[in-house]
Amino acid sequence: MLELREVSTRYGPITVLRSVSLAVGAGQLACLLGPNGAGKTTLIRTILGIVRPVSGSIWLDGARIDRLRPHQIVARGVAVVPEGRRLFPKMTVEENLRMGAFIEWAPADFAARRDHVFSLFPRLAERRRQSAATMSGGEQAMLAMGRALMSRPRLLLLDEPSLGLAPVLVEQLFAMVQAINQSGTTVFLVEQNARKTLEIAHHGFLLQKGEVVGAGSAESLRRSELVRHAYLRT
Amino acid sequence: MPPLELLLQQTLNGVMLGVMYALIAVGFTLFFGVLDVIHFSHGDIFMLGAFVGLSTLLGLAVVGLRTPLLALPPAFAVAVLVTGLVGVGAERVCVKPLARSSPLMTLLATLSLGLVLRESVLIFYPRGADPKPFPQLLPAGGFEVGGVAVRYENLTILAIGFAAMIGVDLVIRRTRMGAAIRAVAQDPEAAQMMGVNLDRTVDATFFLGSGLAAVAGMLSGFYYGEIHFIMGITGGVIGFSAAAIGGLGNVYGAIVGGLLFGVLQTTAAALIPRGSEFRDVVAFAVVMLFLIFKPSGILGEKSVERV
Repeated sequence: MLELREVSTRYGPITVLRSVSLAVGAGQLACLLGPNGAGKTTLIRTILGIVRPVSGSIWLDGARIDRLRPHQIVARGVAVVPEGRRLFPKMTVEENLRMGAFIEWAPADFAARRDHVFSLFPRLAERRRQSAATMSGGEQAMLAMGRALMSRPRLLLLDEPSLGLAPVLVEQLFAMVQAINQSGTTVFLVEQNARKTLEIAHHGFLLQKGEVVGAGSAESLRRSELVRHAYLRT
Repeated sequence: MPPLELLLQQTLNGVMLGVMYALIAVGFTLFFGVLDVIHFSHGDIFMLGAFVGLSTLLGLAVVGLRTPLLALPPAFAVAVLVTGLVGVGAERVCVKPLARSSPLMTLLATLSLGLVLRESVLIFYPRGADPKPFPQLLPAGGFEVGGVAVRYENLTILAIGFAAMIGVDLVIRRTRMGAAIRAVAQDPEAAQMMGVNLDRTVDATFFLGSGLAAVAGMLSGFYYGEIHFIMGITGGVIGFSAAAIGGLGNVYGAIVGGLLFGVLQTTAAALIPRGSEFRDVVAFAVVMLFLIFKPSGILGEKSVERV
């Protein structure tokens, strides 16, 4: 479904991604593991067209998307839970959800989609008229997830969704990501929490200093020396 | 103390001036909200709106459309459309290409554009250096309540001004494009991640803000009975000040700031001996106090220091 072929991205003189190649098949839950500064967020921004790769190509369902602009890529069924959530702080919970469905704006089934999100995160229903800025970290994480689901994406990108969450919430979040994937959405999960991530992912990639240094099934990654040493600390 | 009627009268006059200031200020605040820039040619866009409106009215009169009901709607429509498009052009030439460079560059580019607009009207409009009489199409006459004279013409100006503000409020709060504008103002990258077309949103913002300035330009023509190619300098400074005291980036702040500035001007004229000569001094002194003690403005969160 999503394929990157030798993608390199630069910020000015600094090369952040070096010839990154990876593929995520339809229906899969793939992950990208890597330490801070490896280029994980840049990879997400590159897929979304916020930054353009200097070389290489990105393909979505067999069509090349690396020359498209962000709104065109999103319109092809991609949604994201960005790093740091990036909610609209002055908008209410409900308005943030509306922004999640921006591509279609007022779909006929808007109420149904919103109520589906409220059923997943009952707290959001209680706070629907509250502005996003006044919510707790956990609630903001829920809202970011709910907002991404509002467009009924075929491909969901998640950039460190567990960051800053209490362990019990992290547990819930990973269970939810797994459930979303099992309901048919392809998921590409970028994480530092390797242990939890490898429990739910089908396969994954390791990113270090902008390069893919490992790839394989979740099982093989769990057993790999590199991952055990760098991420699992066992 | 001046009599109460005088104060009431001046407050009413102030609100009317304030409506025009507010319409200019909303543009400043929208542009700042979406692109974090001060668009210094916005005052001259306001002036241009008045001249486009005047030209349209004169053109309509030539083909026999002289009655207010026949002439005003098309004149406002043309002024808003043409001025809005010029505003979009200004953004594409002077603002957006410089968005990533120093704010000083945007300042220079937009100041220069303002000069170009002003000189163009001076040179290309027939006898451009002279004040141009504005057709008096608003209803004449009036009535008196408790010693306060209310003219129908002024009520019409108030009505048109408030209608324009309510219209913009509805666009921003209720439409998809309005949601895009608010989203970009809060977080441009997150807005793009939701599928917002950034360039089109910025264009729409400049169209909207410049169109409002055109409405203000025409109202100013009706109010003063004439327009002049340098009217954009004062109009721009006052509009920017109103946006700043209201809180740059906040549309309601710009409206409050505009009304406040107008009322300050007119009540200063009433309360202070020889006040009408000092009305701008008093009003701008208050602006400076705001910049010193409350730089984020009445309703603002973003600080003016960011400019």
